[in-house]
Amino acid sequence: MKQRPVKNFSHWTAFFAILFFTFQVFSQTKPIPTPNPTTIPHTPQPIFTDIAQTSGLNFTHYNGMTGKLYLPEIMGSGSALFDFDNDGDLDVFIVQGKVLEPNVKTDKTIFPWTDSEPPKGRLFRNDLKINKDGTRTIKFTDVTTKSGIVADGYGFGIATGDINNDGFVDLYICNLESNKLYLNKGDGTFTDITTKSKTDDSRWSISASFFDYDRDGFLDLMVVNYADFNVKDPPDCFAPTSARDYCGPKAFQAVGNSIFRNKGDGTFENVTISSGISKDFGHGLGIVAADLNDDNWIDIYVANDGDPNQLWINQKNGKFENEAFFSGSAVNREGKSEASMGVDAGDFNGDGTEDLFITHLIEETHTLYKNTGEAIFEDITSKSRLGLSDSRLTGFGTAFIDYDNDGLLDIFVANGSVKIIRIIKRPGNTSQLDERYPLGQVNQLFQNKGNEIFEDISDKAGEVFGHFEVSRGASFGDIDNDGDTDILVVNNNGKARLLLNEIGNKSRWLGLKLIGKDGKRDALGSKVEVFISDKKVLRRRSGTDGSYCSSRDPRVLVGLGINDKFEKVRVTWASGVIEEWINLPTDSYTTLKEGSAPKPKSN
Amino acid sequence: MNLKNSLSNLFRIAFLLTIILSVNNFSQNISDDKNLLPSPMKGLVAIHYPDLKDLEKEVREQIESFQIFLLKATKTSPTTKDDLGNSYGTMGEIYQAYSMYDPAVECYLNAATLMPNDFKWQYLLGKVSEEQNKTSKAIDYYKMSQKLRPDYLPIYINLGNAYLELNLLSDAKQNFEKALELNKDNPAALYGLGQINFSEGKFEDAKNHFEKVLQIVPDANRVHYSLAIAYRELKNVEKAKFHLSKQGTVGIRVADPLFDGLNELKQGVRLRLLRGKQALEAKRYNEAEIEFQKALAIKPNSVPALVNYGVTLVELKNFPEAISNFEKAVKLSPDNANARYNLAVLLSAQNKHFQAISHLKSILEKSPKDVSARFLLAKELRNANLLAESLSEFVNVYNSIPDNEDVLIEFTQLLVMRGNHKQAKDLLENSYTKFPDRGRTIAALAYLLAASPQPDLRDGKKALELSLLVFNSTKLVNHGAIVALAYAELGQCEDAAKLTRQLITKVEEVKDSNLLVKLKNELNRYENEKPCRAK
Repeated sequence: MKQRPVKNFSHWTAFFAILFFTFQVFSQTKPIPTPNPTTIPHTPQPIFTDIAQTSGLNFTHYNGMTGKLYLPEIMGSGSALFDFDNDGDLDVFIVQGKVLEPNVKTDKTIFPWTDSEPPKGRLFRNDLKINKDGTRTIKFTDVTTKSGIVADGYGFGIATGDINNDGFVDLYICNLESNKLYLNKGDGTFTDITTKSKTDDSRWSISASFFDYDRDGFLDLMVVNYADFNVKDPPDCFAPTSARDYCGPKAFQAVGNSIFRNKGDGTFENVTISSGISKDFGHGLGIVAADLNDDNWIDIYVANDGDPNQLWINQKNGKFENEAFFSGSAVNREGKSEASMGVDAGDFNGDGTEDLFITHLIEETHTLYKNTGEAIFEDITSKSRLGLSDSRLTGFGTAFIDYDNDGLLDIFVANGSVKIIRIIKRPGNTSQLDERYPLGQVNQLFQNKGNEIFEDISDKAGEVFGHFEVSRGASFGDIDNDGDTDILVVNNNGKARLLLNEIGNKSRWLGLKLIGKDGKRDALGSKVEVFISDKKVLRRRSGTDGSYCSSRDPRVLVGLGINDKFEKVRVTWASGVIEEWINLPTDSYTTLKEGSAPKPKSN
Repeated sequence: MNLKNSLSNLFRIAFLLTIILSVNNFSQNISDDKNLLPSPMKGLVAIHYPDLKDLEKEVREQIESFQIFLLKATKTSPTTKDDLGNSYGTMGEIYQAYSMYDPAVECYLNAATLMPNDFKWQYLLGKVSEEQNKTSKAIDYYKMSQKLRPDYLPIYINLGNAYLELNLLSDAKQNFEKALELNKDNPAALYGLGQINFSEGKFEDAKNHFEKVLQIVPDANRVHYSLAIAYRELKNVEKAKFHLSKQGTVGIRVADPLFDGLNELKQGVRLRLLRGKQALEAKRYNEAEIEFQKALAIKPNSVPALVNYGVTLVELKNFPEAISNFEKAVKLSPDNANARYNLAVLLSAQNKHFQAISHLKSILEKSPKDVSARFLLAKELRNANLLAESLSEFVNVYNSIPDNEDVLIEFTQLLVMRGNHKQAKDLLENSYTKFPDRGRTIAALAYLLAASPQPDLRDGKKALELSLLVFNSTKLVNHGAIVALAYAELGQCEDAAKLTRQLITKVEEVKDSNLLVKLKNELNRYENEKPCRAK
């Protein structure tokens, strides 16, 4: 207990190797089926297959646990899907942990680290090969050493974005200690510019996001921090059984978030206070930047663990106002603050507004906030059937993804407990839980059935959905460029899994890479509307944030379902400029540059 | 009803005591199969033993003694079905109390089989099913218990909430209405109906239900959120914002003697602490007090219990007892910063500044980066008139957190006390430039501009502008008094007097004699002196 009676009788509130270069030889070949333009097929085969091992994406997360139940051990980590070498396919960076306790060696922890090289974040290059028959050979090569990235902090999240508009995506890594900004030099190597760029936040950071909130053409950065943790003075916490257990957020003081404005010269200005976002904060875990009130300016939603969430509405003058409570998205329908972890924004019901989905603890529900317009939300968790008790688990990474490209956004949730699950000793117990680390849960896939109803189809989604693991970060993107969304799941104290989508591209799809007016950088924050007809419009957003600790494919992939034609595509660029295209090709990726459409319309 | 429940709990405790006494000399191993208590007869299920190895000693011993008692009961022949049923049921209650749901279910199933007419076991099966996230099963059990005991109100509330979760609104409504037939003012049922109204888009009805709930249980401040959102949907933004400002974390508690009684079964300091902290966070201070007292009865030297009990006593305004608990905690654990800090705050309130300073210095010896302790130390040194030492600490705190308004205000107070008016004014002006919407900063700056003892620092026009900005927003007498000072500085003595007379009328209503004397003195100057500006 670290409680001080400050609030009630004091007027002041406390604040406040290069060792070797490994060339991976594993590969996975996947046949690409011919699209069927008329029907969405019934799919008896698994929706997702784990190809991490066979494709050479060999990564095991290490949390350094020593049995003292330090909270940071169970919180990481995440990954990024990004094209660092601009060869047209998604590469991978996975964030790593290390030993938390001072003077403890990696081989003396409960799950000893056995590699010759110490644990650190890894960069894997995607050497995707598209064969003449259309099949794909997916192969990853570990290029960490060559890249110059030495991510050896106790890491959690990662954000990607091109901070200097040179067309090469840069990396920001969130750590328990100081964070790191790695500038992509464009030659396959990165350089640490944290100090020079003034983007460090030495507090316990979990997630971050790049977005251009002031429309100056440069990506700004927001960092979400969790709590004030000191390994030398950890609190003792107990489960309802009286056994020792991991602490919840309330055992630690929240510390506040940071926002850095990109000055365009390679440096950033900390505008946390002047922007207004220091006014409200909690134990921050998730962040998504999106235009939630439909005024074409990017807003920010921060998911907090056990505290009200914040909805920072962009005031268009460099300032933000937290309107979460009035908007109805700070707490759940009953006014309770929930343990919000992962978050995503997306138009799941096709009404033209960005809705919110947030993952929570097993004793709560994952919450679906329907945006009824201008950032006024209604908690429709029960109505959507996403709150059904038998589907409840402790969720982290998540996203609205259209896994089957039917035009409706479905939901993936990466799960894993934060409390020790007591194993009942019974003969024939088939539980996959590891007695040394019994936090494993299965991941989930919820299919959007239309009419704002979802169905848990995890049992049909593939064998990989039957593994009891401590999943945390989840990144989403089209790894094999075949037109459907694949998923990279990072398992705490376990192997990363790459879930290859086996069925999505059986439906028509439209792939767009949006490039800003400078002609090089991904236009993060831009909105895409695909007009199937006057009445049916599919709306998507380009972004790399959301989920938990993770960064996704910035390309926009729109499932068209049975529609092989559409009237037009409208892009509302992050700058506010609106442009329209017709006759874009389907079943392939097209690059759209701001200012290149025949008839631009100003906002 | 309450007496009946109390008696029921007494019987339960008496029964449990009987069990504990009866197993004292029972030395037989729990089971040949250490993982399983076999079924003694057809129709009953075997009970799986949970892993107890990491539990607190008292809890483990308690559970083991009940396990031995149950084992004995299953091997005793002949025995009545009711006796065996009660033994299984009690074991189930113990397991459920400690959140060991799987074996609890097995025990309750046997109890329900052996005692088919006792609603209790079906009801607790419903509760444990809910805790296992098995809502449909819970509904089935609740329905069975309802047939056996149709007058037990919590069944209807639980059923209503379970149906609400499944979005089966008409079933939910039916059950909440039945609950209201048993108690027309049951807040949980009224709240449930409000939620149904909201889902149906009947926002006026929802609003009415939520308002009625708040009339019955005004402390349930979380309901203000639901009410605010109902008002928002009714386009009454003002009321919505009003209720948002009132919303908090205290929800509606459903009195459920059967389920609540399980908490009485819990042993051990850890769980008492856990329950106490939960009660403290939910502002149920009397409940927290009892839990911490029970924790201290088991372990009188538990420092966390002493500190948390002290915090609870502060909330209950029992300051002497709070001090006594914090002092005991400090004696037992001299490095406990929370105990010392809390003690310093209480001692400060009693003007025992030197004692407070001593505790704060002890904290800072061990944790020099504890800004909150240093801030309090700076204030205490100022209060003890050790101004030079206070200045040094304030500079340290201000440099650590320069944008904190509390620090700024307290720091400038010290500067004024030391006669450093210009430095105080400069700090306030800089802060105002950076944070133009901070009311206390504006008020402090306006005061210095209107009445600084160093006349060359005064700027009546700016003082009036700033003070009006604050006063028009807060309508506080203190802020009005600054407006009057600004008028006086500008030579507008009549305006100053007129406003001060209005303020005096207001203060007379609230009977604040100190402020009244001060205002009357000011009024005297505004009415009788020329110039009437502050000296």
